[in-house]
Amino acid sequence: MQETSTEQETTISKPTLAFKGQGSELFSIQIVNIVLMLVTLGLYYPWAKAKNLQYIYRKTELADSPFTFHGTGKEMFIGFIKGLGIFAVLIGVFMYGFMHGDNGVKFLCFALYFIGLLALIPLAIHGMMRYRTSRTSWRGIHMGYRGTLGNMYKVYFTGFFLSIITFGIYSFWFDTNLRKEILGNTRFGNAKFRFIGEGSDLLLVHIKGYFLTLVTLGIYGFWYMKDLINFNINNILIEQDGKYSRLDSSLTGGQYFKLAVGNLLIIVFTLGLGYAWVVTRTMAAIFNNCEILGEFNPDALAQTEEEYKNATFEDMADMMDIGLV
Amino acid sequence: MFEGKYYNGRTSKGMPAFITLEPAYIRVAWQTDDETGTEIWDLSEIHNSEFNDANTILEYGKFPRQSISVFEQGFKEALEQQYRDAKFLKSSYSSFAKTGMTGLVVGGLSLLGLAIVLFVWGIPSLAEKVASHFPVSYERAMGAQLHAQMMQGQTIDSAKTEALQKYLSALKVESDFPIHVTVVENDMVNAFAVPGGFIVVHDGILDKMERHEELAGLLGHEIGHVQMRHSTKALTRSLSYFMLASVLFGDVSGIAAVIVDNASTLNNLEYSRTAESDSDKAGLELLVQNKLNPKGMVWLMEKLNSDEPEFLKFISTHPNTNDRIKEIESHIPKTNYKPQPNPELEAAWAELKAD
Repeated sequence: MQETSTEQETTISKPTLAFKGQGSELFSIQIVNIVLMLVTLGLYYPWAKAKNLQYIYRKTELADSPFTFHGTGKEMFIGFIKGLGIFAVLIGVFMYGFMHGDNGVKFLCFALYFIGLLALIPLAIHGMMRYRTSRTSWRGIHMGYRGTLGNMYKVYFTGFFLSIITFGIYSFWFDTNLRKEILGNTRFGNAKFRFIGEGSDLLLVHIKGYFLTLVTLGIYGFWYMKDLINFNINNILIEQDGKYSRLDSSLTGGQYFKLAVGNLLIIVFTLGLGYAWVVTRTMAAIFNNCEILGEFNPDALAQTEEEYKNATFEDMADMMDIGLV
Repeated sequence: MFEGKYYNGRTSKGMPAFITLEPAYIRVAWQTDDETGTEIWDLSEIHNSEFNDANTILEYGKFPRQSISVFEQGFKEALEQQYRDAKFLKSSYSSFAKTGMTGLVVGGLSLLGLAIVLFVWGIPSLAEKVASHFPVSYERAMGAQLHAQMMQGQTIDSAKTEALQKYLSALKVESDFPIHVTVVENDMVNAFAVPGGFIVVHDGILDKMERHEELAGLLGHEIGHVQMRHSTKALTRSLSYFMLASVLFGDVSGIAAVIVDNASTLNNLEYSRTAESDSDKAGLELLVQNKLNPKGMVWLMEKLNSDEPEFLKFISTHPNTNDRIKEIESHIPKTNYKPQPNPELEAAWAELKAD
């Protein structure tokens, strides 16, 4: 046994985050995915998504160890079919109302459709968080989600209706409350997350961003977006054995400008085929600029989760265009 | 023997380990400050491992999985050599990546080509097939609903509607759908067909007409759209585009929106050029069947071709009017009969023009 290597191995590993994915590798996965989806008329979608996620997770590293996505196409396919079924019913109700002569029935069907869609959103977020976290591991330690569906509905509908009656002003508090609910219930082994951003601070970010963007004829827009991303990252705390650490993003407006303009050019000049590079560039910009400040010890996480396998709402979130993680 | 780290699935602490590749299993000998141990990994329980580059990771067993991570050079090659056909070394990901840059470029371009073919040719012809198998009764019911909805907020000229219905019933018409006409008060020079046999004519276009043959031509044209189910086909087509996009991008929630959106713009749905010229031919045919002057169709086109701005809308959604006139005229010499006066049609026409 070499003395030097053992010595090195006993030092605590630094909790750096990094994304090591390459556009060309992801593209070689996506191109096969697209062909298979076309051939199967879209039914391959869950498997395609699994491969995509497996690649992206595997290339995301914490303290030089990669994350692993354990979800499989088969699990997600079952969820996908259930999700499609629910949507088919809702669209059926909508079409029935559309075809019906009676205005009362019409109104009832449309109301049912919209209430149905609205009620699905918290369910989709909840289901997706439970599934996605349970299928994510790092050095064998699984993440987990402890939120209850009841609380999710409470937070979601309170936020939704307060946002409506305040003409959207409350939506900033809605946004931060939702993040508090979601992150506050997310576990990483025995470490817990917390979101400490306040609606009033988010409102300030928006007001500042909005007016400076107007004054600078749009140029500040990139800094505005950078501020939003950093707001969402910098307000995440990690609690481990009673000690707190914080995520810190050093993404600058200039970097965001390069990222956004580059992504736009890639999409335009490759007619969308370069999407894989857009993903890897974006992931790299976010993760490679992100640090964990504090006493977070990546070697001291303990397994706390049970096995969990329900994927029903994973794709529901996709179908409704809810992107969270 | 390779050096690496062993994770036991209970904590994230990496334990220094020595890994030996035995013929039937992998041996992992780990040690911490106060403990040592040896794990025997049966090959069949090792999980598939992909995407590794500098760091080779193997996972083992049921939840929570144990794993090893090896940075040492040559480990991956040694694994491949020792366990050539083992399941955990099979990868379905790298196969395409191995073709290199040329493979990716060729693959990408052929995919682009495929997408273009699908959008330009595949979807329209598929949608056409689907639409032609749509039951007539269902199309009628859908049309009735759409029509009723579109008539809300429109002022129907009931006297003219009645006169137009009279004119229509005096015409010999062949159609799978019972034809129902409505005249609405609207200065815009327009007329359109709703699926299932509902034809809506603006009084603006009636005012422009000078001879009743033009009206017969117009009705023939719109009945042609109905009979050839152009609206239904256009609706199916845009729905198919949307569905394709939604399966590719996984967004299904917008389908209802597309249906509503299309229904609301049905009065200026863009038919294809061939659909328009087919309907022009149908209009001409109607004139011939009723022994009316085939020039009626040309006169109608000439009205639409005038430079007045109010025509712009109608013209912009239709193919170039001059081309249409030329095409119609090319069909006229084939008709050799003497136009016959039709007192019944003329009476209804007079009623329609009476203010």
